[in-house]
Amino acid sequence: MGNKQTIFTAQQLDAYQDCTYFTRKEILRLFDRYRDLAPQLVPLDYTNHPDVKLPYELIGSMPELKDNPFRQRIAEVFSEDGEGNMTLDDFLDMFSVLSEMAPRDLKASYAFKIYDFNNDDFICKSDLEKTLNRLTRNELTEDEVRMVCEKVIDEADLDNDGRLSLEDFQHMIVRAPDFLSTFHIRI
Amino acid sequence: MDSEIQRQGSRNGYHGDQQSLRSRQVSSRVSNQNYPQFNWSSTPAEDDVEGSSEMPRDLRSSPLHMALKRAVRQVQQMQVPVVSSRESWKRNKAKSLRKLKDNTREFLYLFALWSKSLQKIGGNFGGGVQSFFLFLRFLVVLNFVSFLLIAGFVLIPSIVFRSVGTGLVNSTGPEECMEYDPNPQGLVLFYNYFLDLLSGTGFMEYSYMFYGYYNNTMVDDTNFSYNIPLAYLFTAVFYFAFCLIFIIARMGTAARVAVATGGSAVGNYSMIVFTSWDYGCLGDRATKLKQKNIHYRLQVRGDLSYLAGWRTLRKKWWRFLIRVTCFQMNLSPTSFLFLCQVDLEEEMIKKRAASLTTNQKVVLYALRVFMCLVAFGLIIGAFYGIFLATEFSQEKSGKEGILGLIFEYLPSIVITAGNFLVPLMCDQIALIERYAPSTTVIVALLRAVFLRLVSLGVLLFTLWRQITCDGNTESAECKLCEYNYNFYPCWETRVGQEMYKLTLFDLLINIAVLVLVEFPRRMVVDNWSNKLAQWVGRQEFVVSSNVLGLVYGQTVVWTGALFCPLLPLINTVKFIILFYCKRITLFNNCRPALKTFRSTTSTFFFLVVLLFGWSLATVVMVYSLAEIRPSMGCGPFRFFPNMWSIVPRSFSSLSETTEEFLFFIGSQAFSIPLFVLFCVVMCYFIALASVYGKSVALLRAQLKLEGRDKQFLVKQIEKLSRQLQIPQHTAGAGQ
Repeated sequence: MGNKQTIFTAQQLDAYQDCTYFTRKEILRLFDRYRDLAPQLVPLDYTNHPDVKLPYELIGSMPELKDNPFRQRIAEVFSEDGEGNMTLDDFLDMFSVLSEMAPRDLKASYAFKIYDFNNDDFICKSDLEKTLNRLTRNELTEDEVRMVCEKVIDEADLDNDGRLSLEDFQHMIVRAPDFLSTFHIRI
Repeated sequence: MDSEIQRQGSRNGYHGDQQSLRSRQVSSRVSNQNYPQFNWSSTPAEDDVEGSSEMPRDLRSSPLHMALKRAVRQVQQMQVPVVSSRESWKRNKAKSLRKLKDNTREFLYLFALWSKSLQKIGGNFGGGVQSFFLFLRFLVVLNFVSFLLIAGFVLIPSIVFRSVGTGLVNSTGPEECMEYDPNPQGLVLFYNYFLDLLSGTGFMEYSYMFYGYYNNTMVDDTNFSYNIPLAYLFTAVFYFAFCLIFIIARMGTAARVAVATGGSAVGNYSMIVFTSWDYGCLGDRATKLKQKNIHYRLQVRGDLSYLAGWRTLRKKWWRFLIRVTCFQMNLSPTSFLFLCQVDLEEEMIKKRAASLTTNQKVVLYALRVFMCLVAFGLIIGAFYGIFLATEFSQEKSGKEGILGLIFEYLPSIVITAGNFLVPLMCDQIALIERYAPSTTVIVALLRAVFLRLVSLGVLLFTLWRQITCDGNTESAECKLCEYNYNFYPCWETRVGQEMYKLTLFDLLINIAVLVLVEFPRRMVVDNWSNKLAQWVGRQEFVVSSNVLGLVYGQTVVWTGALFCPLLPLINTVKFIILFYCKRITLFNNCRPALKTFRSTTSTFFFLVVLLFGWSLATVVMVYSLAEIRPSMGCGPFRFFPNMWSIVPRSFSSLSETTEEFLFFIGSQAFSIPLFVLFCVVMCYFIALASVYGKSVALLRAQLKLEGRDKQFLVKQIEKLSRQLQIPQHTAGAGQ
């Protein structure tokens, strides 16, 4: 460890430290986790910025994510190509936002993106229906789903356009005491 | 286009760079939603107004992709040569401070015990159970650091001086009081060593374990002086102060988190949908259970909003109950009734309470008062039992063999039995009292805390009665030495032994319950498909009673640390063993609860209860230091009228100026202005806190108002657009 690591240059590590909530050791530990997913694909030398992307299937098989019903959306939101295939940058970004040091606003904006299934910057009824089905494992009936969606939009929609924008979402998150502790993955 | 930008760049130098960046469009290479735009023009303005420390934080908390963040960072770094030297000095200072913080965090991470275990526990059983294990880890660290303190200042010097053989300070006194011979006479049977280990007598009594072994060596060489009694006293006092500071520091961080997340909100639909999923949930089973929980909450919420009556709600409960029990046969039906969200039950209880007639209310309140008295009576009965057991045990001390061991442990046995039975009965009483669920929890907890801590106080009071002959120093037995020298030639060691026995017995009982109750229960429930077995079900990990056990154990250690300096080390080992035992029972015997536990407020609450225990121990310590005469036959304080008198005596050997300075600090001329200053500072902080609270409330109200403003403006726009469309329509139709 310390000065002996040859995976990143000192400037790269500094840049990672400035852009995420991790220390040097944590970044190296996360690199080890990333590499463990596919040792033959990930090189041990990142000094010349190799372009390596791990496919979504590998990311979704991590023990921290494999039982999470939103794992596909998480991977899609944090990946650059929007398909769930993550580079090391995306991987670090994801766990930085999901760590306990990230502030509430940052987590809220990413949570909004996760629940926005059709990527149109608004959480509309169809997004809510998909969220509910994942939350309850498709056990709610059609009527119940419809009723809950209507109630949610009634409660949270402040500008009355029938869907939730980022401001509505953040306004609602401000009043939730548990959000910081639930939107958190320890790695 | 490119050449123009180049020319601009070369003309203005740095500013040109900014211009060219501004005019460049940040278009995504891959056109997708995830690539947001960044406001480049805001960067120079921010730089002038805010300090350098804001920059790295702004970057980390901006919702951009890593590549974009790195580009922004590069731009910000290019600005470095242009800012003033003061700015760059501030920036460097902030950077080195951050590096220091990061290094400290990395260093502490090395010592983070059991972090993988805690992560697994939190993922499978939720935040409440995890907070119990975090609290246990905190206590392990506290005890270990205290032991290092005691070892450094008392234990190691004592060992050194004893081996060197420095002489003791002698003095005269009544002969009978100075008789103390703990070494056993005659042939010692082999099993006696084992019994001695369990009760702290025999070979253990005259050892570094207890107070009686330490001597009142006062080394005073030409360039080195060490006063063992003074060191002993100051270490004990500093140990208490250190524990208090540690606990309050931890309370501060827990309180900050609890305040930042704000007060509890009613579980309305949007809250349930968006914030109830725990992303740290690990494992298939825990995930399925969580999903069932959310399903249930949504259903019950729906019934509530239709203002369903109490009966229809109960029907829905049982229907859902049957469905869940069919899915998971190891779920006990009766305990499921307690597994709802607290706020939902609160609302139902409130509705039911509002529908009572005056007559029923009077009956209910009278019943509550009566049940309160019954509970109080039970607790007093337990105290009397402890009193009798302690007196009996002290009378019968000195007996040999297994019977002697049982007599020695009689107070511990009675205390443990009381701490187990009385809360059980209080639970039954609480069912009759029919408080709201949150009130029931608080009342049960208060009763349990009162029982545990005051039972320890009763034990100590009984001991005090016997040592000081009921406080009457003129009575026949205590006249000569001011303490009962016949029974207690070295009373501090005896008190230390009692505390040692309590600690050991606590650990043995925990292990015995684990082996004899919890594992058999699991095996019976899993392998015997009887209705009774399924009704009892697997046990649940009850956080509150486990936390009270930890607080009780820690209070015992604090009380006994003055008389048994190695007790913090024993406690460290005990808590480590307890961690592994509890973890084993959690993963093998317990089922995860459906009820979610607010972990942010519970940590704070555990620390408050710990402070109660600390204050009890402080009272005991202060009293022993100031009032009771130390034994004349043993210990470092054997020739002083009380333990505190070593302090004034050693002050007289200090230089004149130091003495005057210390007297000045203790005098009124200094302490009253200091006290006034503290009051002023406290008032300032209280005023600041209230101002912050008011501004937070104002901002929240403003947020709500702006939402309503938005709605109003949108409606106005709709109205206006309709008005504008209609004349066009009529105009068009007219033409």
